[in-house]
Amino acid sequence: MGQIEAKPAPLSRSGFQHPDTSRLSIQTMGLGRDFVTYKKPEGLMNSIKGLWNRKYETKVALQPTDLELQQGQIIGLVGSNGAGKTTLLKLLSGLIHPTQGDARVLGYQPWKREAAFLRRISILLGQKNQLWWDLPPADSYDLLARIYELDRQKARQRVQELAEMLGCREQLLTQLRRLSLGERMKMELIGALLHEPEVMFLDEPTIGLDIVAQNSIREFLGAYVRDRRPTVILTSHYMDDISLLADRLLLISKGRIVYDGQVEDFMSRAETRQTLSLKILQPLREDLQLTADHRVPAGSRSLSIEIPSQQIGPALQTLLALSPIQDIKIEEVEFEDIIRDFLEGRHDHLSQ
Amino acid sequence: MTTYLNKLWGGARLAALEQLTYRFNLFSDVAIQPLIVAAVELTLWLAFFKSTGRSELAGFSQEHYLAYAIWAAFVARISANWMYEWNMIDSVETGSVNAVLVRPISFYSFWLGQFLGYKVLTSSFSLVVPLVVCWAMKLPVQLERLPLALLLVLFYLIFVHTIAVIMSSLAFFFNRVHHVTVAKNITLWMLGGEFFPLDILPEGIREAMIALPFSSAVFRPVGYLTGRLTTAQLGEGFLSIAIGQIVLGSVAFVLWRAGRRRYAGTGA
Repeated sequence: MGQIEAKPAPLSRSGFQHPDTSRLSIQTMGLGRDFVTYKKPEGLMNSIKGLWNRKYETKVALQPTDLELQQGQIIGLVGSNGAGKTTLLKLLSGLIHPTQGDARVLGYQPWKREAAFLRRISILLGQKNQLWWDLPPADSYDLLARIYELDRQKARQRVQELAEMLGCREQLLTQLRRLSLGERMKMELIGALLHEPEVMFLDEPTIGLDIVAQNSIREFLGAYVRDRRPTVILTSHYMDDISLLADRLLLISKGRIVYDGQVEDFMSRAETRQTLSLKILQPLREDLQLTADHRVPAGSRSLSIEIPSQQIGPALQTLLALSPIQDIKIEEVEFEDIIRDFLEGRHDHLSQ
Repeated sequence: MTTYLNKLWGGARLAALEQLTYRFNLFSDVAIQPLIVAAVELTLWLAFFKSTGRSELAGFSQEHYLAYAIWAAFVARISANWMYEWNMIDSVETGSVNAVLVRPISFYSFWLGQFLGYKVLTSSFSLVVPLVVCWAMKLPVQLERLPLALLLVLFYLIFVHTIAVIMSSLAFFFNRVHHVTVAKNITLWMLGGEFFPLDILPEGIREAMIALPFSSAVFRPVGYLTGRLTTAQLGEGFLSIAIGQIVLGSVAFVLWRAGRRRYAGTGA
């Protein structure tokens, strides 16, 4: 793949049609980035030799990529660790320079870092604090308002509005370091949205958060993008983030975009699997061939297996015929696992 | 210009707020540290005069040297920027510089505002120490010269901040440069005149060292304050810094741009 056609913006989960689909927000032309790293040898002697004789290796983080994203689209960018998704975000937000190719975001070359461009974008790095650790967020927002040349009165009002939406007004005057991870992420979000960016890069906005905080941030982001309609590129390890927020899915692997399509298509066409965990009251009298891939040994009273969704019913019927069930739990397989299956070639049909 | 100053003021304000949050740390910074440094400097000079049996050196009395030592300790603390330089380098090494790179403010201005805010706040408090010591010991100081001397120090801060940006840019190339900055700081202590007045050095070396902008770190402002230098000699400090700023500012600009091209966005 690699060559991706611009497509009309699809109807999003919220049901609204993005406006003015003819306008491109982000465009890349053969954009790529390599990293050169010192290949450090093992051991003391080799390290000493490395003082005058060093070997470097070049790693391709992002292969030449052509991409066109419409204004107002919400893109879910997924891939395993080291796949190149954060490199793409860094390039598009102007953090790093490319090794090859070119890009335009809102008509600007990102890495030139023109003030007019930086005033219109925002990046949220889920694993990095961008606000001041030792100060209450309200003080950090004051500086951000000055940096973005905002009317400070209006900025204060906007902080209050966003904090109200996120349910964190009480924490605005608490030192950042004293807030929970979820509260800190809410504060980071306010900081990222203070200047009403037209393009947002959200890198793992819910990483490490508990379920309640994840849902709260998802709901907020959903409401925000429905209301303000920014272009968003979202990376996440959580399927819920992608499935609830994104219109379009880009799957990246080894620095190359290997799937570009709608999230629903990907999920419905991917073979969904679930984890079935249960306990039965009576131990099995003999070995049981539960599915083609799973054999349960005699004497077992509990099992935990990962099987295709459509096999769960027959498996339960088989077990119920042998013993009453004491406890049962059925869980969605992690999105990461579905991606891994795809990348390992189990869902080749998707890329066709 | 107003917008730019507003950004600087925002950074200065934030740095001051940060310092005021931790009272014990601030107290150590503005009172304990300058007192200890002043005590060490006084002891050294008193020991020198007592052991040599002299009452003056290079035309200046013991009291002049004690006054110089007290004010040198104070001014040197203002003009040192190792703490901020360390943080700036660290931000490049760890990738926290990303928070600056994605915002419409330069790395230079972002840190300059905070640096100046921190210096103005802490110096305002710690100024009490040399004033009280000189008054108590009746040391010769021309206090009417203090505003102009401090203005030169402020000017020097901008220059030394430019050096910090150069050091931070090196972190793009070499990743770890903290030891380089330590070596640079030791050199600056020597060139600045914190250890001793530069005018007691042998001829030739003396003129060269005083002509460099680094002499405005301590020697020029303190020499002016304690009557060793004239207003014209202080003025030469402004000129010297301006030339240094143009030269090192250009180096910083080129290095920063080249470094940014190599940057891998560490840690993001």
